[in-house]
Amino acid sequence: MRPPAEAIGDLSLVVGAIALVIFVGVEGALVYAVWRYRDTRGLAGEAARFERNRPLEIAWTAAPALVLAVVFVLMLGTMAEIGGASADPGVRVRVIGHQFWWEFRYGDVVTANELHIPVGTPIDLELTSADVIHSFWVPELGPKRDVVPGATNRLRLLARRPGGYEGQCAEFCGIEHAWMRLRVVAQPHAEFDAWLRAEGSPAAVRGTEGERVFLANICVNCHAARGTEARGSSGPDLTHVGARATLGAGVLPNDVARMRAWLDDPQRHKPGSFMPRVPLEDAELDALAAYMAALR
Amino acid sequence: MTATALWVRRPAHERVGWLRTVDHKEIGVLYVGMGLVFFALGGIEALVLRAQLATPQARLVDPDVFNQLFTVHGLTMILLAVVPLLVGFANYLVPLMIGAPDVAYPRLNALSFWLSLVGGIVLYFSFVAGGAPNTGWFSYPPLAERAFAPTPGVDYYILGLAVNGAGTIIGAINLAVTILLMRCPGMAISRVPLFVWMTLITAILILGAYPALTAALVMLFVDRQLGGRFFDPAGGGQPVLWQHLFWFFGHPEVYIMVLPAMGMISEVIPVFSRKPIFGYAFVAGSSVAIAFLSFSVWAHHMFAVLGDSENAIFSATSMLIAIPTGVKIFNWIATMVGGRIRLTTAMLFAVGFIAMFVIGGLSGVSLAVVPIDLAVTDSYYVVAHLHYVLFGGTMLGAFAGAYYWFPKMTGRLLDERLGKLHFWLTFAGFNLTFLPMHWLGVVGMPRRVFTYPESTGWGPLNLAATVGAALLAVAMVVFFANVVRSLRSGDIAGDDPWDGFTLEWATTSPPPPGNFAAIPAVTGRRPLWDRKHPERRDQT
Amino acid sequence: MIVRLARPPAFATDRTLLGVAVFVASESIFFLAVVLSYIAYRDAGLASAKEHLDIGRTALFSIALFSSSATMALAARGLSRRWLLWTLALGAVFLGGQASEYARLLASGIGPGSALFGTTFFTLTGLHGIHVLGGLVALSALLVAAGRRPAGVRPVAWEAVGMYWHFVDVVWVVVFSVVYLGTLT
Repeated sequence: MRPPAEAIGDLSLVVGAIALVIFVGVEGALVYAVWRYRDTRGLAGEAARFERNRPLEIAWTAAPALVLAVVFVLMLGTMAEIGGASADPGVRVRVIGHQFWWEFRYGDVVTANELHIPVGTPIDLELTSADVIHSFWVPELGPKRDVVPGATNRLRLLARRPGGYEGQCAEFCGIEHAWMRLRVVAQPHAEFDAWLRAEGSPAAVRGTEGERVFLANICVNCHAARGTEARGSSGPDLTHVGARATLGAGVLPNDVARMRAWLDDPQRHKPGSFMPRVPLEDAELDALAAYMAALR
Repeated sequence: MTATALWVRRPAHERVGWLRTVDHKEIGVLYVGMGLVFFALGGIEALVLRAQLATPQARLVDPDVFNQLFTVHGLTMILLAVVPLLVGFANYLVPLMIGAPDVAYPRLNALSFWLSLVGGIVLYFSFVAGGAPNTGWFSYPPLAERAFAPTPGVDYYILGLAVNGAGTIIGAINLAVTILLMRCPGMAISRVPLFVWMTLITAILILGAYPALTAALVMLFVDRQLGGRFFDPAGGGQPVLWQHLFWFFGHPEVYIMVLPAMGMISEVIPVFSRKPIFGYAFVAGSSVAIAFLSFSVWAHHMFAVLGDSENAIFSATSMLIAIPTGVKIFNWIATMVGGRIRLTTAMLFAVGFIAMFVIGGLSGVSLAVVPIDLAVTDSYYVVAHLHYVLFGGTMLGAFAGAYYWFPKMTGRLLDERLGKLHFWLTFAGFNLTFLPMHWLGVVGMPRRVFTYPESTGWGPLNLAATVGAALLAVAMVVFFANVVRSLRSGDIAGDDPWDGFTLEWATTSPPPPGNFAAIPAVTGRRPLWDRKHPERRDQT
Repeated sequence: MIVRLARPPAFATDRTLLGVAVFVASESIFFLAVVLSYIAYRDAGLASAKEHLDIGRTALFSIALFSSSATMALAARGLSRRWLLWTLALGAVFLGGQASEYARLLASGIGPGSALFGTTFFTLTGLHGIHVLGGLVALSALLVAAGRRPAGVRPVAWEAVGMYWHFVDVVWVVVFSVVYLGTLT
């Protein structure tokens, strides 16, 4: 199986080439007509009077129809290819859209905003939403598919090369739609398997001051960290939050300093997101940020 | 007639003011005025949006304000600027072109204008009453449900659009009946000017499309105000139902906005080429085809929701609609071939319409190709496409109409030098704004985002688009300046400044109440040409 | 060959009637959208519909509405205020029946916000009811005008009001079939 994005790219080139030929032809004819028949002498009255030509009219009705028929057939081929259920998916991931972040579930392993996949393997995404309509889009990997509450839509992706691929919600979903980004990390199989094992393991650090702050505040109403008592589910799972590249679904790069700034006042960085400001002492913030960064 | 007169001059004791007018020409001018005011408002909103997007992670406006502005920008331009502008021209011109003294129901005509305007005012009132709608012009539920949009913005959206739509529907009934029953003797339906043909088709599209929107609005109202479950997945409702109803309205709406502009340039091009239109029957007939097809393409807005088989069907219908559209373009070019083209400002804008609409049409065909659509839908590629159709197409066509008919409406010509400056600034600004957006969409910039990270690399093209928008704003200032200046001191036009073909040029500028001293009799498609050149009369 | 109609329909030449005809056509799209939405949710609400709707009683009131079309036709033909009054009365009886149906459903906890059945039922029948009410206003206006200045009311006005009234009636045929008879399967 080819990556769907490549199939779409090839089709786009063909359609684009056809469009370019038509564009040059029609615009050329237009400019030529205006230039060739411009009035330089300011004559009134009538220039000519031919106003119908049945064969010509039929020709320029039929010709576009033929071109479109070709495009349509090519399109059906590509649709069959990218929609194909030919190869067994290597990995199935359940994707749940939330205002304004992504939840990814690999069986019991839950993570957020960063979708890890093995390279060279078809990935089946089962898309649904916890609230409003979103749309899953990673331009370099494949087409987009709407993420609709009450329905499960499917999307197949394939990455040929390892690396990071940027994506984002493509259906307007509310105030922070712009910061509902995601990142796909395509890895060699062994690396992916190792990541999945690590992601499935419980929180890496226990008993720190930061953990105490985390568990003692309202953080746990929304967030979970496996291995602790935190079991909230309306916000991103934080079991390995320290290993992710960004915070707030793309709004900040993830390091201790930014983590602290984010925890200090999420509304400053992502106004309208559902994470409230939790009043904490400076020392508590330091400890909490260090703890989060250590959850790898 | 030496004085400038936007409306008919009346003796002082009869002058009740245009708040109470039922004259089709005065109502037409009111519509055009409403369209221009909202066009300016929508333009200012667009400038704020472009300023915010000029650089990555800018903080010029709050995200919520941005979302309100792009929602209202879309609603304004579509429902409160373009449609009233076009309906205004239709109101003014249709009775003149068919040799009628007025529209079929003059009082109802006034009602439709005031309903349209009140709908717009209701929508704008939301800005000072708890916030404008911030859910996009399409307001997809569940986002537009109370649970996710608790401010009253969406309620103003429902009320404003319903009232505005009622006005538009009543106006369409009026125009349709006027065209069907009030043509002067000899003016067979196969002889009416193409602008009248396009207006008739547009009226039929309005009558078929707007009720679907009204029905959807009622359902959303029931959901928001009476606790209904139409679009609430938790209660078994289907959010996708809204999308079907909305786009059943939304796609014909595109043709509602394009066909009258096509009609305008179908009047302008022959007159300034000194030839009859080429392929009258095909230009008119292709509109009928577009009208039928436009009711069968709505789901191409929903490819990312539906399955492959539905998508293939709606893709086919959407591609089909390109055929009658292409026919029109070929006929316009064939009209110019062999002509003696006077490149007045009106003609420049008409040629600009064709040049830009070709781009919008081609990108439209690419969007009908399902896999390509799935790649670029909801991205800036679509923003580029729709503006090439609605600005590059409709607005350039409307400007062509404005330069062409301004002398008829006011008795004075618009300044040609300012007009040409207006055209070239518009042309440059428009392409600088919207051409880069194609590429932004292809590389992944979604629509309706209030900002984007620098790492995306989208900054430079966005900056270019913003500079283009500023240029476009300057062009519009030139236009408004031209209008104001020409109203006061423009050259006197006379009855027939362009050596026109159709009946509106057979009466004074502006025409008197009742339009014609005597009801004209018509023997061909170009009644005024026939009257001026009895020896070379049209045979049709 | 030109096929000649024995008598061209009046709305092909009269602007009032053509206006009403075009309006009615546009309204049909509106009701089509609402009826299709009802049908889309029919299965989800079918159990509730079967349990709560009273077909027999509503059928009786529907007969009132259907017969009002006949009285309207008689009124328009004879420009008869008496038949117009009958039409008005039958329309009002129908609306009264609808009101009592609403009261019964609301009393048993079915409302526009209760579940999908209530939402779709009240929306569809409510929109129809509003149109009946609009028809009653038009009938009353005609009745008053024809009483005060019989010469000032053109016969076409009777036909126009009649056309709208028949439309409201036809919509009810569809609504009654879809909503009430639809529960019999």
